Amino acid sequence: MATLDYAVIERKAKLWDRLYPYISVLLPILVIGLFTVYPVLYAVRISFYQYILTKPKVHPFVGLANYIEVVTSYYFRNSLINTAIYTVAAVIGITIFGLGVALLLNSKIKSANALRVIILLPWAIPAVVGGLIWKWILNSDFGILNGILYAAGLIKEYIPFLANPNLAKFSLIMAAIWKESPLAAIFFLAGLQLIPSELYEAAKIDGGGGWNIFRHITLPLLKPIILIVVIYETITAILVFDLIYVMTGGGPGDSTSMISWFAYAEIFKNLNLGHGVALAVIIALITLALILVYLRIIKYEEVVG
Amino acid sequence: MGIALKRQIGSFLGNLLIFLLIIYILGPFLWMAIASFQGENELLKRPPSIIPQNPTTDNYRYVFTGQIPTAYEVKGQLRSRISQEARLISPALKNSFVVAMVVMVINLFIGTPAAYTFARINFRGKALWYNFILGSRLVPVMAVAIPYYVIIKNLKLLDTYQGLILIYCALTLPFTIWFLSMYISNIPREMEDAAMVDGCTPFQALVNIVVPLMAPGLVAASAFAFMTSYNEFLFARLITQSIKSQTGPVIIASIAGNPDASYSLISVCITLGLIPPLILAITMRKWLTEGLSASITFR
Repeated sequence: MATLDYAVIERKAKLWDRLYPYISVLLPILVIGLFTVYPVLYAVRISFYQYILTKPKVHPFVGLANYIEVVTSYYFRNSLINTAIYTVAAVIGITIFGLGVALLLNSKIKSANALRVIILLPWAIPAVVGGLIWKWILNSDFGILNGILYAAGLIKEYIPFLANPNLAKFSLIMAAIWKESPLAAIFFLAGLQLIPSELYEAAKIDGGGGWNIFRHITLPLLKPIILIVVIYETITAILVFDLIYVMTGGGPGDSTSMISWFAYAEIFKNLNLGHGVALAVIIALITLALILVYLRIIKYEEVVG
Repeated sequence: MGIALKRQIGSFLGNLLIFLLIIYILGPFLWMAIASFQGENELLKRPPSIIPQNPTTDNYRYVFTGQIPTAYEVKGQLRSRISQEARLISPALKNSFVVAMVVMVINLFIGTPAAYTFARINFRGKALWYNFILGSRLVPVMAVAIPYYVIIKNLKLLDTYQGLILIYCALTLPFTIWFLSMYISNIPREMEDAAMVDGCTPFQALVNIVVPLMAPGLVAASAFAFMTSYNEFLFARLITQSIKSQTGPVIIASIAGNPDASYSLISVCITLGLIPPLILAITMRKWLTEGLSASITFR
């Protein structure tokens, strides 16, 4: 009997061993699946129906009408242009700024230690709160930035940073650089620390100056990280919402209405779910395309590097 | 120009740049903290005073005890609506904190075993599930905001901690699992193999051998999960309706969204709301930096 019991136990143990992998990943997959499969199907379905919250009883199937109406509207073109301007400027700003900070952090300058302690702070806070802080700093009546510029005699009159269409875009970009470049800087720093110091020493012996070393050694070796940062920040910029929500609300006029904001406004202000979700699906496809490029680059680097 | 002189100029420029950067990064935080100790009238001056002329803790006292700041009475207008809302900041921050802590703990307890399985054990459909988990984060939040609301409503979890916790787990688990499975696959597996030959189960190997070795990774993953939950805004705005579950960012945005907002009270709310993430970002700096660096250099 004793041997039989042992066999039963062993069989049970084997069954448990076989099931263990599935059990260990079950809960996360259930939670993630609930919030992925159903929402995506629901969203895609809605985008083919008329869903206007002020007409809650009628939901006729309209085919691609939502997509066509959205894409051909003036607001779509406007928000696409705004998103493009914002994305290009923010990504360039964040990349250059982040790289500059990373180079300083990687240098032997002593005060860089202080910078190292505080660099993560803007990244660590909620984007809405970051946006609110900047909104107030840039306020055209009591903003501290206007106050400082005025007290220093640099301006004669307060500047309406958020009330002028171009300045409002500029202000958003400035806040985005403040909020996002810490992450870029940490990424670049990680890349810089992977570059073997022998390379720099060899270049110095060969008489290379600072700029030449940067151009011919640092930059090429940092290229994979730069690409990753650029694509990551491009996606983040295309999806920007929190900053706009608190800083400009898409205004003045519709000068800072970006594509995510447009989708939000269609859903929550015009209460046209069909339009808003069709837009969101378009945004999803754009980001998906970028992510595929990103994965290709990573694969490429894996093979080559 | 001599080399020594050139080097001196270089180091001077470097220090100057760092100084300017520190002002750019810290300035907004400092201004919030300074403003929170000033009266409303001083903040509305042109230009506002950078160094408080009459520093006061009235604004904080109001938020915590409800005693109306004297500065309000001087001006002769009591902004009762906005003032009352500012008093919601402490319960809102409590909500944020509780939700973020629970999400963090759930991430550790169900994310770690899943990450270990993905890193070490082969099972049918592994690559598919792994890619499904990672791919779930590619969906832009705006596309799924309404369906999320519908799910939470059907589960009867609107305006509850549970609703927020469920959504934040779905948002944070993919990163936690990916990050920890990367971390685990960089740990040599000889010790686990030896333990398993001795009859140890994978779960025992994880708890007894791997968890102690991956402590830094666990700290970083916890901090990321906490921060993501603490900072999230769109879904919190969507599924919370009262102070029973409204989080810090929701209340702060709502107070500041009022055109008649009192700046001194907004700055108090912002300052209080930023204390937890700022403390976390400074004390956990090493882990966070290593975690972020690893997430871009690990392959």
